[in-house]
Amino acid sequence: IFEYNGSALVAMVGKNCFAIASDRRLGVQLQTIATDFQRIYKIHDKLFIGLAGLATDAQTLYQKLVFRHKLYQLREERDMKPQTFASLVSALLYEKRFGPFFCQPVIAGLGDEDKPFICTMDSIGAKELAKDFVVAGTASESLYGACEAMFKPDMEAEELFETISQALLSSVDRDCLSGWGGHVYVVTPTEVTERILKGRMD
Amino acid sequence: MKQQSNWSPYDNNGGTCVAIAGADYCVIAADTRMSTGYSILTRDYSKICQLAEKSVMASSGFQADVRALQKVLAARHLIYQHQHNKQMSCPAMAQLLSNTLYYKRFFPYYAFNVLGGLDNEGKGCVFTYDAVGSYERVGYSSQGSGSTLIMPFLDNQLKSPSPLLLPAQDAVTPLSEAEAIDLVKTCFASATERDIYTGDKLEIVVLNADGIRRDYMELRKD
Repeated sequence: IFEYNGSALVAMVGKNCFAIASDRRLGVQLQTIATDFQRIYKIHDKLFIGLAGLATDAQTLYQKLVFRHKLYQLREERDMKPQTFASLVSALLYEKRFGPFFCQPVIAGLGDEDKPFICTMDSIGAKELAKDFVVAGTASESLYGACEAMFKPDMEAEELFETISQALLSSVDRDCLSGWGGHVYVVTPTEVTERILKGRMD
Repeated sequence: MKQQSNWSPYDNNGGTCVAIAGADYCVIAADTRMSTGYSILTRDYSKICQLAEKSVMASSGFQADVRALQKVLAARHLIYQHQHNKQMSCPAMAQLLSNTLYYKRFFPYYAFNVLGGLDNEGKGCVFTYDAVGSYERVGYSSQGSGSTLIMPFLDNQLKSPSPLLLPAQDAVTPLSEAEAIDLVKTCFASATERDIYTGDKLEIVVLNADGIRRDYMELRKD
């Protein structure tokens, strides 16, 4: 069921910045339905969440999270910290422990003092904090290999963009359910750069 | 209730193999860990076997089947040498391996093979197989538990610079022998981090015009 729509998500930490990238394919098993599907959503300027797995659950979960975050903003009059947001996602997922959302989230944000934060979790909310990179989706094994080989600590934004793009494109080329280009967000304390990658269109 | 048998004749001993073909050399590498389930059986098991003067096979999967396969191929090679008074060339060995695997189509050898060597012109060649003998000559390949982690990285480093067009023929890498060995070491270091069945030690075999050479590199043991 995790392989129904196909997805590839990766987030990497750099020097005072992070990058989060996804593929753009939406399929129904072997048929491709859309080639511009958005998997990464902005919660606020310094917090992004990508949702891999079943697309309908990803969209529903995103809507619930936006709702919860907007309430938080109204009550606390500030944006949510990434660590707090990760705990929120984890709690929401575990509420459905015996009838889960078939999603694997990847959360990336800049926390206190603009320190980059990334984490992923399984479909029932088990958090995995990492210092270097996190991956999710049908191409996750390929992504693990590619990221492990290409990652260096403390990369600047430009180099981080190149690295994450190469890792994403080569990994989705080995996975038939993900691909059709890439969507990369590079976030520094001062700006957010969104770029679309052209890859093998299959 | 019909009684179902839970016994399987197969087991997976894990491990990863990689081979890269160069202009006048071939690098074949495999880790030396043999495992079953979540346990390690030994840290020092060679998955690489030299079948002929210029053909070296690395196999991951069920090592009992791999051993049996190596025995069959060695015996067939000996017969060939008696009948033709020469060593088998790598492309010939490739075909023989494919036929041997397909012979057991309905009770396969659980072996995922990569055959590397030098062809008749002295150029490096790598052949990659599935468990029932479907094979292809390629410029590089990996098989085994870490192959999904290594293959995309090899694609990125070795595929010709126009991946958006149809794949280039004759993908023999322009890298030098030392660079290829370095690349293999990087691949295994990364795969060892994320794959529990890969690790302990890396055995690298290099075939070139001067002969055959074996090197070892330590990997993480956890």
